[in-house]
Amino acid sequence: MHLQFGCNPPTKSQRRRSEEKNTKKTLDFPKLSPDACVFHCSMSPQQLNMAAVGFRNWARALSKGKQPGFSALFSQVRAASGPSKGMLPGPYPQTPEERAAAAKKYNMRVEDYEPIPDNGEGYGDYPQLPDRSQHERDPWYSWDHPDLRRNWGEPIHWDFDMFIRNRVDTSPSPVAWHTMCKHLFGFVGFMLLMFYLGEKFPSYQPVAPKQYPYSNLHLERGEDPEKQPEEVKHFNI
Amino acid sequence: MADYREAPLATRPKTLDPAEYFNLSLNQRRAEEERAGLRAQLKRQYQMQLNNPHRKELIEDPALTRWVYARTNPYNHFRATKKTSLLGGLFGVVPLFVLYYVLKTDREEKRPCIYS
Repeated sequence: MHLQFGCNPPTKSQRRRSEEKNTKKTLDFPKLSPDACVFHCSMSPQQLNMAAVGFRNWARALSKGKQPGFSALFSQVRAASGPSKGMLPGPYPQTPEERAAAAKKYNMRVEDYEPIPDNGEGYGDYPQLPDRSQHERDPWYSWDHPDLRRNWGEPIHWDFDMFIRNRVDTSPSPVAWHTMCKHLFGFVGFMLLMFYLGEKFPSYQPVAPKQYPYSNLHLERGEDPEKQPEEVKHFNI
Repeated sequence: MADYREAPLATRPKTLDPAEYFNLSLNQRRAEEERAGLRAQLKRQYQMQLNNPHRKELIEDPALTRWVYARTNPYNHFRATKKTSLLGGLFGVVPLFVLYYVLKTDREEKRPCIYS
């Protein structure tokens, strides 16, 4: 039994540019005829499709005689229910055409798109956006996601999870950053230095070892009562 | 607007930036218009999906998908350069040796006290 659903509609970013040319204003959901649905299920069509395809691929890969069992699980076949390869981040763009395609993919202007410099750290063609935290965005504008102060489809900064409103804030500080650093580290460093010197050169009231009565507690320390206690001289005058 | 002072500890909003109002070249204006056009199209797509009465599933954000994919697959584009090798060595290899040395020395010092 094979559940037949229409192919996924083209992703929204792909249709963005051609939206004006499209005369019909409704969304293209897959057209289901009544006899296409074999039965109703609780999972959404996409989930079921993905699960069926994924399982079929896995079973097919395992049953193939050529590939050894374990490496068959790492085959290059991927379920078709997510974004296509062209919509996902790729390698650093080398030619201007690749740059233009990448800018279109990330919903940015070609002039605005600037990939993170390629230094081997694995950024690929991801755009370099200004390092401004979400604190700095207008609180009164009607964002699509007000808590994140972000619109749907807007390119996300690489460190977006650092720049949310619970975390790092790049808003202007009351005093310049270097002044604050100097004050803090200067104070902490000074205190550390002084405590270290205090340890090195202690100064306190003159003290001497404790002096005990009864001939240095001769009997209490369990020594022979008949024996004469030894004389302990504590001071010299 | 000339006497606007931003709230303390807040950035000046882009719409109140004097550079946005005076001596703008046509190219700058065109660039801003294009950006506004992009924003408007994305807004429209989102609103169409949001207010669609027949929608049953979550609205998928391709920008989020791309971000997650980029963050979880950096090794596809990883290259061993001087800097990356240095960082890898510094954080992955050196601590092993340093920790071994420190812990071993510390234990050797404590050993006679325990077993005396």
